[in-house]
Amino acid sequence: MSEEGETVLDARDVAVHFGGRSTLFGRPPATVRAVNGVDLVIRRSETVALVGESGCGKSTLSNAIVGLQPPTRGSIAIKGRQVVGAGRRALNEIRRDVQMIFQDPALSLDPRATIGATVAEPLSVRAVARGGELKRRVAELLTQVGLRPEHATRYPHQFSGGQRQRVVIARALALEPALVVCDEPVSALDVSVRAQILNLLVTLQKRTGVAYLFVSHDLSVVRHIADRVVVMYLGRIVEEAEREVFFAAPKHPYTRALMSAVPEADPVVQRAKQRFVLKGELPSPANIPPGCPFHTRCPLATEICVSDRPELTPRPDGARVACHHA
Amino acid sequence: MSAADRPLLSVEDLTIEIAGASVVDGVSFAVQPGEVMALVGESGCGKSLTSYALLGLLPDVAERTAGSVRLADTDLAALPPRRLRKARGKDISIIFQEPSASLDPLATVGAQIAEALRQHEAVSRREALARARDMLEAVGIPDPDRRLHQYPFELSGGMCQRIMIAIALICGPRVLVADEPTTALDVTIQAQILDLMKRLVAERGTSIVLITHDMGVVADIADHVAVMYAGRIAEIAPVDDLFARPAHPYTALLLASVPRLDVAPKATLATIEGLVPSPGDFGEGCRFTDRCPLASERCRAEQPPLFEERPGHRTACWHRDRVGEIARAAA
Repeated sequence: MSEEGETVLDARDVAVHFGGRSTLFGRPPATVRAVNGVDLVIRRSETVALVGESGCGKSTLSNAIVGLQPPTRGSIAIKGRQVVGAGRRALNEIRRDVQMIFQDPALSLDPRATIGATVAEPLSVRAVARGGELKRRVAELLTQVGLRPEHATRYPHQFSGGQRQRVVIARALALEPALVVCDEPVSALDVSVRAQILNLLVTLQKRTGVAYLFVSHDLSVVRHIADRVVVMYLGRIVEEAEREVFFAAPKHPYTRALMSAVPEADPVVQRAKQRFVLKGELPSPANIPPGCPFHTRCPLATEICVSDRPELTPRPDGARVACHHA
Repeated sequence: MSAADRPLLSVEDLTIEIAGASVVDGVSFAVQPGEVMALVGESGCGKSLTSYALLGLLPDVAERTAGSVRLADTDLAALPPRRLRKARGKDISIIFQEPSASLDPLATVGAQIAEALRQHEAVSRREALARARDMLEAVGIPDPDRRLHQYPFELSGGMCQRIMIAIALICGPRVLVADEPTTALDVTIQAQILDLMKRLVAERGTSIVLITHDMGVVADIADHVAVMYAGRIAEIAPVDDLFARPAHPYTALLLASVPRLDVAPKATLATIEGLVPSPGDFGEGCRFTDRCPLASERCRAEQPPLFEERPGHRTACWHRDRVGEIARAAA
């Protein structure tokens, strides 16, 4: 892990649990441990990819980081300011520095607001700019994301999916945040448009030094854009490594299964690939297996995996892995 | 094509119009027994409409104005509704992207599989359930005796897709149309479903028409690929040849825009500028003209036919000899 660059996000032992409290109607529902003790640090200009399948807790963790979901335990600091327990006013200040982009741009935009009004809103709400200055800033932001200033008067329905995602990115960048949480930002887009948005995110990072937490299930996209990769399984980090190390020497059996499951866009490579197909399904986060949470699907599992949960431990090449056998 | 290798499914000159615009225009392809044909393209290219037309399931706004869909000796497109209903499920079946939306939430999965069978064969309820149970086993559902009596909400997305496949295959159709069957699933589950489909092809000789936008899925399972753009086939080829030597600029750019192992991290990916034209303004010539780096006057004026570049590899491009330039520039 590179030490240069200021820390933008410092999350320690974050846990988010749902339910479990008794209700009016008898027996309490089982507690869903969506996120279960996660440490995560992100530095300026860095892209950290958060990888995992449905139900692994990646979206819950992202929501906690931007302050949309108060964690059950742990601390989350954005540029040194604590998100957990912050009052409304403090949280408002922190949100200047952390923004979010979602998967479906059509659902993230107000269909009745012009593109200009949408991009201007964060600036006018915080009285950063008004009047002619506001107009100038909006034009600048639209240009920055590859749209034209005259697009400001149009409505979302007049744009394609890729263009809408550009609008969402312009809005997210309006206040020059230190961290943007991107939750599957290109998953809903067509392949050729996906490449445009990835190129845009890379260009903007080079220009502004913004850090990305890039939530994705698509490892080919992750390999392209991430500096560091974090894999989650049932609410915990099971592997974390710099990109080069991660893709050259994946260690955790779950990571290896994920990699072998992603079909390579090359029939020759794909046929030669060693398959490592997982049996069974993801257990429910309301009923996490004891010991290593992965042992029910793991081809390497032994007795110790059933009884003891492996800690995330550093390896000589800098990776951190939670596995007794890897 | 000689009589010996006559295709199982053959689509000729299929044309579908919506409000007077040809959203699918002269599409032809053939599928051999036990072969996987992938229809690839981006949103709005007509791949899903083409697949619905195979089963006569076009939405009301769309109309097939020309072309035939032959399954062995029958022209499905010419069948009266009653006969077509008989063919659906028995000779040709379809599965969709969102399995939970295709299943009846109020019926057990066993009843749903059995119902599909009893539509086509005069078997008792008991016999149908027994065959449904064997089918569950065949699609890799653990503990089939218990699952038979469960409802869709009790099953995960991957299991529901296995149920859909079981329903589609219970009558032993010769062709399975799969419309983005793994798009809504996680990658490890996607791998399981793709393996299952490959196994079914190998064991039962079922042919598959696979609709997808994912080049990785194509590389994994397809034997032949038809790349569609704005309602037409741009290029059609055996899978290895298509990936190794794309002969249409659209295919070349599509392949170059997918991040691959041999592309440096954070390097600029190839993109396709502009947008797919809307059905209203397709124009006379090649529909890719406005976005094509090789476009010339001829492309604008005249639609290129499908040229046979190599055996089985056809491409609709006037400048097919220069497509290599695009692939090299992108690399």
